[in-house]
Amino acid sequence: MSIITQYTNRLRDRLDVLPTWVRALGLLLVVALAFYLPYLNVLPFAYIRTDLSATGTDWASVLFLVVVYMIVAVGLNVVIGLAGLLDLGYVGFYALGAYSVALFGSTSSPVVEAIQNKFGLSEEWAVPFAICVPIAIAMALIAGVILGAPTLRLRGDYLAIVTMGFGEIIRICARNLDNVTNGAAGITNVPVPPGPEVDGRPFFNVSEPERWYWLALVVLIILIWMARRLEHSRVGRAWLAIREDEDAAAIMGVAAFKYKLWAFAIGASLGGMAGLLFGSKQQYVEPNGFMLNLSFLFVAMVVIGGSGNILGVLIGAFLLTYLPERFREFQEWRPFAFGVALVAVMILRPQGLVPSRRRAREFEDRKVEAEEAAADV
Amino acid sequence: MLLELNDAVLNYGKIQALHGISVEVAEGEVVSLIGANGAGKTSTMRALSGVRGLAAGSVVFDGEDVTKLRADQRLRKGLVLCPEGRGIFPGMTVTENLNMGAYTRKDKAAIEEDYDRVFGLFPRLLERKKQVAGTMSGGEQQMLAIGRALMSRPKLLMLDEPSMGLAPMLIQQIFDIITEISQQGTTILVVEQNAKQALSRSDRAYVLETGRIVKTGTGSELLDDPSVREAYLGVA
Repeated sequence: MSIITQYTNRLRDRLDVLPTWVRALGLLLVVALAFYLPYLNVLPFAYIRTDLSATGTDWASVLFLVVVYMIVAVGLNVVIGLAGLLDLGYVGFYALGAYSVALFGSTSSPVVEAIQNKFGLSEEWAVPFAICVPIAIAMALIAGVILGAPTLRLRGDYLAIVTMGFGEIIRICARNLDNVTNGAAGITNVPVPPGPEVDGRPFFNVSEPERWYWLALVVLIILIWMARRLEHSRVGRAWLAIREDEDAAAIMGVAAFKYKLWAFAIGASLGGMAGLLFGSKQQYVEPNGFMLNLSFLFVAMVVIGGSGNILGVLIGAFLLTYLPERFREFQEWRPFAFGVALVAVMILRPQGLVPSRRRAREFEDRKVEAEEAAADV
Repeated sequence: MLLELNDAVLNYGKIQALHGISVEVAEGEVVSLIGANGAGKTSTMRALSGVRGLAAGSVVFDGEDVTKLRADQRLRKGLVLCPEGRGIFPGMTVTENLNMGAYTRKDKAAIEEDYDRVFGLFPRLLERKKQVAGTMSGGEQQMLAIGRALMSRPKLLMLDEPSMGLAPMLIQQIFDIITEISQQGTTILVVEQNAKQALSRSDRAYVLETGRIVKTGTGSELLDDPSVREAYLGVA
């Protein structure tokens, strides 16, 4: 065990023994701070803002994107971290979420226009946002099941390749199905969440990104709570067993396929939720926003952060979204820095920056097993 | 018969591992399957537990054809495998591993009883309740694997190579416990390379060679059989 691990473990042990009310208070403070972040203007803390230079990005918008990607990371963590399935096509679900709300909620989407013509509705009519949300989640969930049902019999690398294909199929469909998705032109007028009008403008509008950030933050907190409940449930135990040894899980009575499909479907719906928020804030979706490399970025967040641990993947999502925005001046160096960081983490800390302790133990065990196998030869 | 394996054929790709073997186990018996490496012992276990499907033949358990059932469905019927080697969940603690054994059960009181029974059979596991399974010794992992299998209240407990990689003292101890489990009323099918121990503890046994059954008889008959003695017991 490395020195860092020993140190962090000791720190975690110390946090674990704190009384519940202290921990609850700490959590409350963290959440309060998170809500306050867009207004952060006290030096030296304000140096973390991304809009200090003229070329910087709007701070609240960056925070919003960070939280959206955190939702993605929490969802992908269910698939990779809990069930142990490598999904390289997660961007497909993200895209489905964004496109669902655009296709059904935007007055300029071909789908809505077709419905208007068929039922003789006015040109102002579109599916209300509140109904778009369950539609988007359902679309992603169904896609997860459709993708999972035939492919989850595959293991490891084979599954990764098939899911990667899925991510591409979604994007290519979005680009080429002109009379459904407007093709490369994309869809404008994506609806925003309902809210009271302030100064004659909708509550959620382009020039007040902090409201979007708060909305995403609330969604994230609810989803984290749900994901934790799930992790410690019967389903979570089944995932854990499957991840550690699928055959052993099956002979202990875990219906492995069923639970893997559940992981896929739940992960997919969280990805859809994140996509929905993203599409709605942009008020515009287009196929190029959902390239394959985004999938890799998502997997990197989970793996670098520490798969299986919600705190870890949140940190992973934060670092990989925030750092490139903060250091925009060095734009041409970004891919290089990303590559170096990735290699460094994989060599020095393969279990991730803040791994779940269980995952760390599994890593140790696999290392021992590999060494034993090597010694046998 | 509690368990019948009829003319089972099992393939790994183009390689045929089992060439139509038949095994029977009656209720209350201890039956062993002995053979060298690659004879098809583990393949037989996989076929029986449902981890791998058969190319031909059938598995009948408790009067019901279970050939088409998956491993998890067979466990619910009481056909339970204790896998070979490191078949435990390495990242879980001892208690969590045992918990997984009771995964399909909801009868809390009976589960508590079974904890006591397992800890009674393996006091070592009680001492190491909170230890992470992957960090335990080979013998302790084997005990845990057996304990975990018992937690699902098997009608038939199938043990795959329970003595693999263990010191002679421990082998003795593990077989003592297997005998005890059998006396407590569980039917047992055990697959072993350690023919001497297995044969001396079984009611009946089958000798497996390259995917075929070449001999069958009671344990003591086979112990006295000259060809078995030469091939598996190392005595001429």
